[in-house]
Amino acid sequence: MPRILDPQDKYYIDNPGRVKAIQAQMHKRGIDVYLGSRIRTMSFVMDTFCPWRSYIVIPPEGQPTYFTFVVDALRVGDETWIDGDHVRAYGPMGGMDQVSAITDFIKDELGIKKGRIGYEDGISAYTAEGNLSHWEYTHFKDALPGFEWVNSHDIIDALSLIKDKGTIERFRTASLIVDEGHKAARAALESGGYRGMTETVIAGIAALAMRKAGSVSEWNFAGLNEISSGFRTGLGACTPPTTKEIKAGEPLMLDFHAMFKLALGDHSHNYLIGPATKRQRWHADNFVAIIQKVIDNYHAGTTPGTLAAMMMDFAESRGCGDFIQPACEHGIGLFGDEWRIGAIVNPDLPYWTDQDHVYSENEMVVCAMQYAAPEENIGFRYENDIVITKDGCEVLSKYPLGIEEIS
Amino acid sequence: MSDLKEYLGPLWRDEALRRLQSELTPEKMNKVTTSMSNIYKNCPGGVELFLFIACEDGKVTRVETGTGEPPQAEFRIIGNYETFARISRAELGAQKALMTGKLKLKGNLAKALKLAAVSDRLNKVLAQIPTQY
Repeated sequence: MPRILDPQDKYYIDNPGRVKAIQAQMHKRGIDVYLGSRIRTMSFVMDTFCPWRSYIVIPPEGQPTYFTFVVDALRVGDETWIDGDHVRAYGPMGGMDQVSAITDFIKDELGIKKGRIGYEDGISAYTAEGNLSHWEYTHFKDALPGFEWVNSHDIIDALSLIKDKGTIERFRTASLIVDEGHKAARAALESGGYRGMTETVIAGIAALAMRKAGSVSEWNFAGLNEISSGFRTGLGACTPPTTKEIKAGEPLMLDFHAMFKLALGDHSHNYLIGPATKRQRWHADNFVAIIQKVIDNYHAGTTPGTLAAMMMDFAESRGCGDFIQPACEHGIGLFGDEWRIGAIVNPDLPYWTDQDHVYSENEMVVCAMQYAAPEENIGFRYENDIVITKDGCEVLSKYPLGIEEIS
Repeated sequence: MSDLKEYLGPLWRDEALRRLQSELTPEKMNKVTTSMSNIYKNCPGGVELFLFIACEDGKVTRVETGTGEPPQAEFRIIGNYETFARISRAELGAQKALMTGKLKLKGNLAKALKLAAVSDRLNKVLAQIPTQY
């Protein structure tokens, strides 16, 4: 049975309204049918976890029709708001391969034999983006002669930029769930608990606590909960946990991820496992001050470029400019949407964050900063979902900012 | 006089309806309401034939055969006459014919898979009809 949407639910999203907004944009651009393929598009429209290669066909009016690998169609049909007739499957059968199932549907069931078809293409540093592949594009095109293909992903990108109330509530909850992971990790590490503990084990302790609190996934495809300790903290901003043991005298970075109703909780917290040196403390104090400075400067009307420049100037003034990476955020939305900031394709550097994008109220980003001194075997990471407000920002993880020494 | 009935001819059609109604109870048919049209390409004589079967609440209510456009159905299965004939003679499994692309399905695959066992039961009954291909 599909899910019944309840406008009284604090996590309610007006999915039918989203479809109508997409259709209004299609009408404006003369697009007769939209073929979505990105994970972010599935999340935005279906409001359901769609991990298998999926496609969504949006007609000029009425409900969209979703296609996924046959093994998962019934589960999606049970969880989405769209009725069962509009949740379809493809599979290894004559007439039911991806291309036949979808193009037959467009021609025979929607009755659209020619016109303009919107599709999703581009490039991303995010592996799982889901743009239409060359093979798919070529074969869909061959099966739909008489159609003009128009890259239209920016319709969804623009509509998903400003978050509605229900989406923000979901992110608030996801972030508080991440805090439960951090509390559990802190309790496990203190009083010598870290001894003999590996990065993978602390990742699992946090995962269990977050699952107990309602998370359905550690969602991040770069190693789920990302952990680094010792020299690994200086190795950049992607550290899948290893079996390295956490040791005294080393830094420790815990980057936990929780998913709640497709909203992605993401918070990194750092420790110094005692005894810490004065130099380690200096690095830690620099990083905390930089984080606070950046958070204090978010507000509607500012831009990623402005914030990055301010951050670098501040780091330089503290004598640690060589250690801070020159960016302080990445985009965030429902599952599958965690890449560039903004909705337009920046012509100077296509598909990267537009440094001149002007933030608006209720836009969300992950405030993300990386401090690395690999020669000194130390580094830190900060990530936290934030909502841009008129005069500032709302930081969603409430775990106290700081880098404490524990032993 | 031979007891064999011409495949998809009027006598075969009537026998199919009689056997499906008598041998398949609504319980055996999972009380489904659905319909399907098999479309036979490359038939002897160069015509295109169809076999249409409809069920209501698990009871087979209609079996129709003929040429040209079949009645509107929830599922359409398209293939060569010889492929369908081989399935009816139990020389080829329907699932295998679909999985190898010898038959093409049109309709909601997620729903069709729920009906796979029901479809097998129908085919087994039809395969018992003494048939002249």
